[in-house]
Amino acid sequence: MKADQIDAEIRTLAQDRRLPDSHLERWLAMDPASRGSLLTHAQHLGLRTGQLVSALELLEEIAVRERITVAEILSRDEIRRIADAPGSAPSRASAFIETLRRTRFPRLRKMQERLRAEIAALKLPRGLSLDLPRQLGSDELTVSLRVRSADELSKLVAALNRSTTGLARIFEILGGGSQSDDDENEL
Amino acid sequence: MMKMNFDLDALFIEHGCADSTLAARIIRSIPAGVPVHHVADAREVARPAHDARDPFGAGKRQMIIARRKTPFLMACPAGSSKFACCGYLVLTLASNCPMDCSYCFLQEYLADNPAFQVYANFADSFAELNRLVKSAPGRSFRIGTGELADSLAFDSITGISRELVRFFAAYENLTLELKTKTDEIENLLDLDPRGRVLVSWTLSSDNVYRSSEHRTASPTARIAAARAVLEAGYRVAFHFDPLIAYPGAERDYVRLIDELLDSVPAKKISFISMGGLRMTPALRTIARHRFSTDPMLCGEDVLASDGRFRTFTPLRLKLYRTLEERFRKAGAEIPAYLCMEPASIHERVFGEAPIKPAGLGERLASSRPI
Repeated sequence: MKADQIDAEIRTLAQDRRLPDSHLERWLAMDPASRGSLLTHAQHLGLRTGQLVSALELLEEIAVRERITVAEILSRDEIRRIADAPGSAPSRASAFIETLRRTRFPRLRKMQERLRAEIAALKLPRGLSLDLPRQLGSDELTVSLRVRSADELSKLVAALNRSTTGLARIFEILGGGSQSDDDENEL
Repeated sequence: MMKMNFDLDALFIEHGCADSTLAARIIRSIPAGVPVHHVADAREVARPAHDARDPFGAGKRQMIIARRKTPFLMACPAGSSKFACCGYLVLTLASNCPMDCSYCFLQEYLADNPAFQVYANFADSFAELNRLVKSAPGRSFRIGTGELADSLAFDSITGISRELVRFFAAYENLTLELKTKTDEIENLLDLDPRGRVLVSWTLSSDNVYRSSEHRTASPTARIAAARAVLEAGYRVAFHFDPLIAYPGAERDYVRLIDELLDSVPAKKISFISMGGLRMTPALRTIARHRFSTDPMLCGEDVLASDGRFRTFTPLRLKLYRTLEERFRKAGAEIPAYLCMEPASIHERVFGEAPIKPAGLGERLASSRPI
């Protein structure tokens, strides 16, 4: 497809999706291979407006971080696998955005997974939950107790007390301590 | 030593300032080809050129000499009840900066008046300082000129540092902090600061310097300048701010500290500060527009509870703790604080709650390495 034909299709898609002008301009400002590749993915995965906005922003940021083009990002195996996978377009579109987020925030995603695994390992009883701060934007853990009686409360508090070692490890990771000692260079 | 290049398109002198010492010094120092205009009200000139592709950058090509009509002395604008502050007082003798760091908060803070401004009546600030000293006998104050401008970036054309050093040298309970990313120290070297002037450098890893700190002196040159002023009788301090948590950052910052400690003994450092990169959404938009290819502006930052984008907390804290540990291993108890972080983060990094801003300000003002 010729460059002007690609641009015309991008404009049509942007109009259909009511993509904000600022985002359309950013898309059209990409190199020709990147413009075309994103168009192919947007059409193939049926990206909705919000997903298209997210994809544009994430791809631009990954491209700057890694000093590569958007086309190079989209040609990676993990992206191609999603595009070629069976299943519905909406589920593949969600997986596509999630993969871009993971690429954009590799250490954040890894840390979130590690903390979630630590919380799961506590095997807390029903009614007692630990919630991580949103996007690990603070060092606070939210502890919730849902009870209907004093007896239930006692049991949950006891369970919480039995988890102090694991909780201490979670706080240490949240606080950037040695427990969070991943080799940053391998990320 | 790198000489600051201003690339001025024009110099504007407000009515009533043409005969000032400062105007004479600046006219003598700038290239002969720079046109000089006399204007009634400098505020008009200070405004951004909205038709320019980069209004903020265009502002950095205009210089204004005007009278400052508001007080020179104020509390640090970064201070907030949300943060554990350092009690820093700001003396505004200039506005905006000839260097151009991609992350600089002035891009948002001075977006409506980006032209360089220097104040012909800067000596009036000495009367304000006198009043401050008289109002609080026995208290010590740390006063810096490096908030809305780099403290030494204009010094090759204004020479103000010499008057400042002489003034502060006479006051036992005032400490002047000249905060800079330059190595323009020649005006300082033949003066006697009598232990009352502290020159501080923002230090960044070489990767951050190359990617984000345009027109600044290299980290190695900053460290060499620190060594030189130390030998000339000044106190020195270092700001690791903003710390940027790119992959490999810990290794690079530890190397930077090693390089620093090879030149400046730990016991000679008055204090250090650290602060992670933080950007309001507006600043982030401006910075990314002006420096669209800088990877340091695309870190793993998330919207924190104070409404600023910051590196996600465990990663930011890990970087603080790594630097703190490296300085602790150096063996000297260097006073340290975090800039624009809440008390809880301070406690995580240093293992103790921060002292109150006024107390910390006094401690930093009076800490005098041997």
